[in-house]
Amino acid sequence: MTIGKHVLTGITMAAFVSGLTAAASAGTLENMERERAIMIETMLSGDIDYIQREGRIEIARTRLVDLERMVLRDKSLIGKNQPLVRAAFDNYDLTFMVHASVEKNRSIADHWLSEIGLSTQAIMNARVGRR
Amino acid sequence: MNSTSAETVERPTGPLAAAALALVISLAPPPAVSATGENWAPVASEKLMQLPGDFLRKAVDNDFARSGLARELVSLDDQVALKRATLSDLQGAIERADDADVRLDLQHQFLNEKRNYIELMREHQEIRRRRAAAKLRLYERLLANLNRERRATTPERATFIAKQKAARERFQASVSQVDAKILSSSSASESRYAREYTKNLSAVQELLAAINTHPMNAAPAIDGRPMTRAQYLRQLIAENEGNLAIVGQERAILGHMAKLVSLDALALSEGIGNDTLAEIELDNTEESPNEVTSVVEFFTRR
Repeated sequence: MTIGKHVLTGITMAAFVSGLTAAASAGTLENMERERAIMIETMLSGDIDYIQREGRIEIARTRLVDLERMVLRDKSLIGKNQPLVRAAFDNYDLTFMVHASVEKNRSIADHWLSEIGLSTQAIMNARVGRR
Repeated sequence: MNSTSAETVERPTGPLAAAALALVISLAPPPAVSATGENWAPVASEKLMQLPGDFLRKAVDNDFARSGLARELVSLDDQVALKRATLSDLQGAIERADDADVRLDLQHQFLNEKRNYIELMREHQEIRRRRAAAKLRLYERLLANLNRERRATTPERATFIAKQKAARERFQASVSQVDAKILSSSSASESRYAREYTKNLSAVQELLAAINTHPMNAAPAIDGRPMTRAQYLRQLIAENEGNLAIVGQERAILGHMAKLVSLDALALSEGIGNDTLAEIELDNTEESPNEVTSVVEFFTRR
């Protein structure tokens, strides 16, 4: 009876641990996307001043570097044909923006704005109007 | 005469018995299943599909070696070897026999033992045929699974995988540049993940090198030429097709032997051809004593 209870506990523990592992390994891309969204929000936020923005971007960048690497090294994502994964690998420059910005020797904000088609020239040429 | 008395079974006597023996041998069908009903049915599992190099063949052979069919094959091997020795002893005894009646008795025993030998060899061949057929089925299923996996890679998926590969290559090319840039920043220091990853990487690389050089992880190769898994499976299929064909040919040889035993039995019942036995020479092949061709001489000379 006691042995049976131990075996049952062992199986439950094993199932719990394996469930935890699966949940953790499935989330590298989601974690990176959340951090990327926070980074973009920080870049676009009008509620903070320049100094605060730079400080927050610096901290977020260090975190994002690691998260980008975790995604790129995550073997479970190879061939995983899901919308989120497909979208992530469709545009390297936008998804892995810290690595891509360093490659192109630009600041993250400049890089992101440039990749979505917003340049200083384009903004200067823009006219205020009613839609 | 090491095993003649032990192996000799009840001998038929007289022309009637010889004729009956001839009829029994010529009509005996090959056994459809082994005498003890042992079976071996390997499964084309996913685990088997992932085995590296030549380990697939070895795993299948090991699986067979653990089966009841293999035990039966080994037992039959022993019995066939023993029967062969009995035939050899009887042949020697016939050569030495001076008395006509003793010689006739020994010839009857010799015929009976040849019939028993044919029965044993039929069972032996049937097990070998079943082994080759089971292997053939297994390898064909593995090849079909492999082809199905290949077909499952649509052009869209292939493009997606190529994009992932390109992303990884681009990342590898820029990783040191990014490290330099991040570490040169005054406020940032190397993260715990980066530190641990670098530390573990050398261990991972060392282990990977050991895996790559491990003999059990060698890529499938035949005659020293590396080949793809599909090519390797096709080679195994061809080998087993060859084994089946050989068993079929050996079965024909056994049929001829049975025919000769029938004719010998008829000749004995008619009392002819008793003087040719003295010319028999033994061929004790050491390398493959249980090959059916190694006993042809017992049947071709009377």
